[in-house]
Amino acid sequence: MLFNEVYGSYFNAVAAILKEAVSGNLSGKRVTEIAREKAFAESVLTIPASLRSKDWPLLDDSLRASVRRAPTMPLTALQKRWLKALLSDPRIKLFSPRIEGLDDIEPLYTQDMLVFFDRYSDGDPYEDSDYIKHFQTILTALREKKKLRVRFIGHLGTHHSWLCVPYRLEYSSKDDKFRLITASPRDGLTVNLARIKSCELLEPYTEEEYQPPQPRIETLTFELKDERNALERAMLHFSDLEKRTERLEDGRYRVTLQYERDDTTELLIRILSFGPMLRVVAPESFIAQIRERLNKQISRGQTSR
Amino acid sequence: MAYSELIKNFERVRDYMREFYVYGFRSREEYRMKSPRAYDNERRRIESWLGDYMSFRRDASGKNVFLSVDSRAIPHNPLYKAFKAKSFTRNDLILHFYLLDLLSPDLASHRQALTVREIAERIETDYLSHFDTPYELDESTVRKKLREYEALGLLKSERRGRELTYSRWESTVDLSGWRDAVLFFSEADPLGVIGSYLLDKYDAAPDYFGFKHRYILHALDSQILCALLEIMGEKRRAELQVRSPRRGDLRQHTVFPAKIYVSAQTGRQYLLSYAYRQLKPILFRIDNIKAVKPGSVEKQPEKYGGYCEKFGGYLWGVSTGAEYLIDHIEMTVHVNEGEGYIVSRLEREKRGGRVEKIDDHTYRLTADVYDAIEMLPWIRTFIGRIAELKCDDSYVTDTFFADLTAMRQMYGGDADAVQ
Repeated sequence: MLFNEVYGSYFNAVAAILKEAVSGNLSGKRVTEIAREKAFAESVLTIPASLRSKDWPLLDDSLRASVRRAPTMPLTALQKRWLKALLSDPRIKLFSPRIEGLDDIEPLYTQDMLVFFDRYSDGDPYEDSDYIKHFQTILTALREKKKLRVRFIGHLGTHHSWLCVPYRLEYSSKDDKFRLITASPRDGLTVNLARIKSCELLEPYTEEEYQPPQPRIETLTFELKDERNALERAMLHFSDLEKRTERLEDGRYRVTLQYERDDTTELLIRILSFGPMLRVVAPESFIAQIRERLNKQISRGQTSR
Repeated sequence: MAYSELIKNFERVRDYMREFYVYGFRSREEYRMKSPRAYDNERRRIESWLGDYMSFRRDASGKNVFLSVDSRAIPHNPLYKAFKAKSFTRNDLILHFYLLDLLSPDLASHRQALTVREIAERIETDYLSHFDTPYELDESTVRKKLREYEALGLLKSERRGRELTYSRWESTVDLSGWRDAVLFFSEADPLGVIGSYLLDKYDAAPDYFGFKHRYILHALDSQILCALLEIMGEKRRAELQVRSPRRGDLRQHTVFPAKIYVSAQTGRQYLLSYAYRQLKPILFRIDNIKAVKPGSVEKQPEKYGGYCEKFGGYLWGVSTGAEYLIDHIEMTVHVNEGEGYIVSRLEREKRGGRVEKIDDHTYRLTADVYDAIEMLPWIRTFIGRIAELKCDDSYVTDTFFADLTAMRQMYGGDADAVQ
């Protein structure tokens, strides 16, 4: 059963409170802090009061726990079945988890039950031993806050060698690819993992060297009319981006999107995919690119059946 | 009933969260799902769970609430929080901590497992007697909770003579070795919410994975998806209650669930199933499925699964058209010098189609699909390069060229033109 209180934030918060109580370090202030950290905005109104009033008889007046050990919960059958299902995902090889304890468990699902029908087919080689090695080196660098020396061949065939501070391993389900995003030497350098030829773990980086990249954010505004289910399609399609939707008159809507400048070409073709269902109204530079594509199409010849 | 930030049933909040996230321009008065008070309560709950991601705007129609996130910038799907807001009784809460404590291996070591009566007695003597306030917990309540925890896999039972004894399931799974995998799959897997539950077991969840093209809304359908996958694993029929997207009414369907189709470009999920009444494969949007129940075990799973497999071979996306007819479509694309990436695009995005080289600058994609009109959004991404488009359903090409003309008017001169 997926929706169950044993997974809930209240149970987690109370477990954390009891853990501190068992160790003898609990204070009234900590009860409130833990409720705020582990549960929701209004939980500070309920959790501390219920414990204090003994409506939940788990702490005495001296904040000693009635349980004798710091609470732990065994894995549920659902959690074990999910872990077992992951073992058949090709990407699990990147992590090499230990499979002990899952031998007799039925997987929650098998890979052949899922079809990612619009995922690109040139995804990363998750079975390739060099790829796995590079991935794990990068993961270690992220975990242990160390620098990396990365050598790779760029998309124009040029050889590169970077000394870098890793920031994120970024995955795209649409591309089925991982990218390494770096914190330095230059703002937000990105390399596709499949292009990496070698990857070397170096010394730890300093706090000064860790400069999270600042994305260059652009704004695009389009208007659409809700025909051919365009409103729902556009709202879902662009829901990966920060957006704001306003209703105008005559069944029209104005949508403002924030996107990263490096993704302009990708956004252009995403916009084109909607055809005349939506009209970009700003910025002018983006409109000019749409116009250029349309002009090229006209010069290509076929403009009617 | 007094307001609580916790919920008993996920279904109502599922609709509100979708509305706030997908649309976000409707005012309180426009939510006709329930009364204004119900709207206020749901909005307040969602705000309590997701306050950091909620925004407000006032326009002529009133105050609008919306959820908006740059999904590339957040390490964890915030919508999972809703699954952690299940309501409970105080018996649920105290029995959870008492039982798991009482049956911990070292505390129960003098006897590995305890009977229901022993457990009820020990709860009274070892826990409740510490408090002055009387607290009634009868044996049947304890028994019910033990059975529930056995079903969840937290406890196991064994016979001791005529009595049943209970002990904790102690897993030998090394969770520390799973942390990075759980961190990644809690966001990348369609049932990542289960990973999110596991992450709560660790002291901290690092944020070194990022996700691009990430669609978080599917999380709200996790209960339905989980139920479907379990039914599929048992090769059973499924009884579905589905909301019709056009009419809004609820309909019952008995189906053999075959595959889950997932869009990596919108996050939307679909069930491909064989519908017994209609005698054909049908796709259902999972966000339209309101309830799922397991039916009888299907005696011929290969037969119905095979129908769906064959059917899926001709799907471009998830549409079949009303007639279930297969359209032949050809798109010829011009590729300039140094534009090999266009050929790469055709190859990686062709799905069931075929790509052939005509000459050094010309490539043709050919596909046979149900409802070629569904390909138009993708075909439009090649605007500027399309040398020829042919389809045996003239509606497809007519629509494409009419749209092209409309776009030329839209961006070429008439500033007010929105088709």
